[in-house]
Amino acid sequence: MSTTTQKHRDFVGEPMGDKSVTALSGIGEILGEKLAQQGFDKAYVVLGQFLLLKKDSEMFTEWLKDASGANSRQAGVCTQCLREWCDAFL
Amino acid sequence: MSSLRSKSAQDISDLLDEYGIKHGPVVDSTRSLYERKLKEAMAKGKPSKPSSDKTYYREEEEVTYEYRTPVRSEGAGDRQSYSSYSRSKPEYRGQNSVDEPYMYDTPSTYRNSFMNSTPMKSPDAPKTPKSSRLIPLWVQFAFFLAVAVFLYLVFSSMETNESLKGIE
Repeated sequence: MSTTTQKHRDFVGEPMGDKSVTALSGIGEILGEKLAQQGFDKAYVVLGQFLLLKKDSEMFTEWLKDASGANSRQAGVCTQCLREWCDAFL
Repeated sequence: MSSLRSKSAQDISDLLDEYGIKHGPVVDSTRSLYERKLKEAMAKGKPSKPSSDKTYYREEEEVTYEYRTPVRSEGAGDRQSYSSYSRSKPEYRGQNSVDEPYMYDTPSTYRNSFMNSTPMKSPDAPKTPKSSRLIPLWVQFAFFLAVAVFLYLVFSSMETNESLKGIE
């Protein structure tokens, strides 16, 4: 039984289009700002990184923690969010 | 320890393959992550497994599996294609033993002594029991026979006169 948040459900339920990076589950204002500084200002750019890492959850989680300063929970949640989005739409 | 930064993307990719790290393309955004992974792998002292074989994915899985199982099984299947790959490893480790000895010292000496004592004559049998079947083969045969016998009984009990005459 998954305990997903509304934010997660909102993201995974439709194509991400031009949504901001803060629309990703686990990514709030602060983390979003840090990512945007590095050029990851849209959710699809982060998706791009996820795909570059061959959709490897571990790798992506590590990268995200590195790039944004996210903790394990936040990074894990974001990874899960992207994974499910890919399962549905990719 | 040569600097990873100065290596080309292809070199980084090859190094990742050597350490068995599954990876995507080495581009700007992924490079620093992969460099870090390589540093960790080097620090752990993993043996590098260079392979020019393009099917390294499948063989790597089998090789790591063999690492975890008792080492004696490696000496046993010399003739198999994938264990011949593992056979090339001890020769390579001979070169690397200077750099990274600690983790695989025991297995390598184990393997070397085993290689010396059982050259090329080990049977293929030890490999086959590891075939992954959910239901053992003999169970499948027995079940098939049981179904066949059952059907025959049903058939013979249903058709009393005519069919027997037909058979005769």
